[in-house]
Amino acid sequence: MRPIPAGLLALLLGAAAASGAPAANVTPGAGEGEWAMPARDYAGTRFSPLTQITAANATALRPVWTFSTGVLAGHEGQPLVVGDTMYVVTPWPNVLYAFDLSKDGYPLRWKYRPDVSANAIGVSCCDTVNRGAFYADGKVIYNLLDGHTVAVDAKSGRELWKTAIADVGSGETVTMAPLVVGNRVIVGASGGEFGIYGWVKGLDIATGQVVWTAHNMGPDRDMHAQPDTFRPPYDHGADLGVQSWGGEGWRTGGGPVWGFMSYDRDLDLFYYGTGNASPYNAEQRPGDNKWTASVLARRPADGTLVWAYQFTPHDSWDYDATGTMLLADLTVAGHAVKALVHFDKNGFAYTIDRASGRLLVAAPFAPVTWAHAVDLTTGRPVLDPSKQTGASKGNVKDICPSLEGGVSPSSPPAYSPRTHLFYTSTNNMCMEYAAARASYLKGTPFVGVTSPYVAGPGGYLGSFMAWDAATGKKVWENKERYPNWSGALVTAGDVAFYGTLDGWFKSVDARSGKLLSKFKVGSGVVGNPMTYRGPDGRQYVAVYAGFGGDWALLSGDTRSDDPADVRAPADYIKDIARHTSQGGIIWIFGL
Amino acid sequence: MNLARLTERALLCVLALGAGLLLGACARESAAPAARSPAAPPGVVYESHLAAGGHTPPGGTLSNPHAGDAAVAKNGAQLFSTMNCDGCHGGGAAGWVGPNLGDGRWRYGGSDAEVFSSIYYGRPKGMPAFGGALGAEGVWTLVTYLRSLQPPTDVPTESWEEH
Repeated sequence: MRPIPAGLLALLLGAAAASGAPAANVTPGAGEGEWAMPARDYAGTRFSPLTQITAANATALRPVWTFSTGVLAGHEGQPLVVGDTMYVVTPWPNVLYAFDLSKDGYPLRWKYRPDVSANAIGVSCCDTVNRGAFYADGKVIYNLLDGHTVAVDAKSGRELWKTAIADVGSGETVTMAPLVVGNRVIVGASGGEFGIYGWVKGLDIATGQVVWTAHNMGPDRDMHAQPDTFRPPYDHGADLGVQSWGGEGWRTGGGPVWGFMSYDRDLDLFYYGTGNASPYNAEQRPGDNKWTASVLARRPADGTLVWAYQFTPHDSWDYDATGTMLLADLTVAGHAVKALVHFDKNGFAYTIDRASGRLLVAAPFAPVTWAHAVDLTTGRPVLDPSKQTGASKGNVKDICPSLEGGVSPSSPPAYSPRTHLFYTSTNNMCMEYAAARASYLKGTPFVGVTSPYVAGPGGYLGSFMAWDAATGKKVWENKERYPNWSGALVTAGDVAFYGTLDGWFKSVDARSGKLLSKFKVGSGVVGNPMTYRGPDGRQYVAVYAGFGGDWALLSGDTRSDDPADVRAPADYIKDIARHTSQGGIIWIFGL
Repeated sequence: MNLARLTERALLCVLALGAGLLLGACARESAAPAARSPAAPPGVVYESHLAAGGHTPPGGTLSNPHAGDAAVAKNGAQLFSTMNCDGCHGGGAAGWVGPNLGDGRWRYGGSDAEVFSSIYYGRPKGMPAFGGALGAEGVWTLVTYLRSLQPPTDVPTESWEEH
């Protein structure tokens, strides 16, 4: 290890002393240099207590290692580091790599190549992504696109169990990262564009057997909602998941689960968001359509529903709420609160009491036109009636955000207990929305919309920002030329990290947003940076390059892998293919 | 599921009526399944595939009964939306999750018979088999629509510089 100058050493020690108490609910047993679950901790903070890389020295960050995954689709998610091994899950065909960080060049210990059906490719709405694995109990546990969960022995790479959880023939695929709590592995399915009957399942970690299945809509029995334990803060009544659909629409109502989950050990609740209601033509499903576009709080052991809150009733704009529910203890209006903070596709950032589900703060973090505000008393958005969509309403214009969201749920935020700020990517896009009647045909898309995008106000398409969730105010914002689709990372060195769609990996001062370093990685970044301490004692930062996700569809001219599929550029982002194309590469940076 | 089947039958009837075909069939529950039409496979010849030893596999020739019929193509455009084809291949078949079908390029061959086969039987990587839901007549209607699309003149080159 290189000697550290005395002044820098003092700075590092000072930073460590000032780092304060770690966020609640940090990984049990994981060291401070490790990253064993998707967001590093149960609270979903993507905060690392490591302090070697600071705002003072991050300008010297340089790439130290790369590895091509051999897969071209969008590389969302993040690596894990446990002990001296790095685990990486690729998009379909969902290869799991285990790198030995203790040896020069980080050779593989093993790789695991499951048999994943190619049929799933055509039933995934938005590229064949995977959002990562969860390490627990000596197992690396993750989902396969074709509707399976697997547990792989972390030492040997041998498959321990493989469970069918979802049905590709019904439009279900699996892209989310599982959550492991105790002996439960909690998983959900994508398929909001295929009219699925959305659900979460709890599996036994030892055997992989499905212990419980709880739906996100439908009768109380299917939802695991009982009158004595289900206490939604703003609603009451039986079978809300049926009564709010004006018919049988809940059976094909979507409500997928494809984001990241969080867990509060003291309350014994796990939190997740549900996706859009199906179909996109809202007139085929009159009512609030509970509990799509909502946050649900459940017990991990048996899936019991404890509370639920709907961000976007009667979703008419594809505003999935599958983004992270980040848990942080904040001071709001002078009161200490156990908060849940969520940046929604609908453009509002919500600060919620995570014990009760009641709203504390709701404020737009991106341009919003579909609603004027959120009423904190009723919990309901104050709608602009002229932005309601539906087949009878023709082409509705000037809707902000676009259905890509004020932020994509694939782009998880971070929270620093040192700065008390939340960090997130954003998109600055608006849309037109022409709904049309959709017909349900099992295993095919159930959508019914044409929705061209336009750039939002201000001449930029995305940003990376710091947000004060106690007051609902933006603290700083770095505007980016393209929609920003990477997750966020923040460290006790007060450095925040993110990548851009055109392939820049950036570090910025977490307090000011000032750019500290940037490097053009091999492809656009839609993954989430993470940091760890290597076996050599040094701090490293890892991120995937690998343009894709929705952008593999929206900017199809970035793809060059199929001579029989040649597409024109998207008119609002004509030159992205000039700056990047597909290609999955793991990048590691160090000082 | 019965509900879904009814929906499919209703869709087919809308299509058939729109195409000016089979006017009587929609009123009859006992209409013969379209899949038994004489134009249905197995008589497929893959015109653009390689043939080992130069020997094309035996099989009848599939020909599109509506080739070049603009009215059928128009119905096919509607069917492309009704059957959720646009949900994967995009509006105007310009590409989305599934490939662009209007660029004049084809993974599995672009002759009428090959496009028929792709839709009727499905393809790997997630193209469902629509023969069971649409029957041969419905598939030919889609083929006629797709073959009517005019590819842009300059498909191979995308330039960001002024010339």
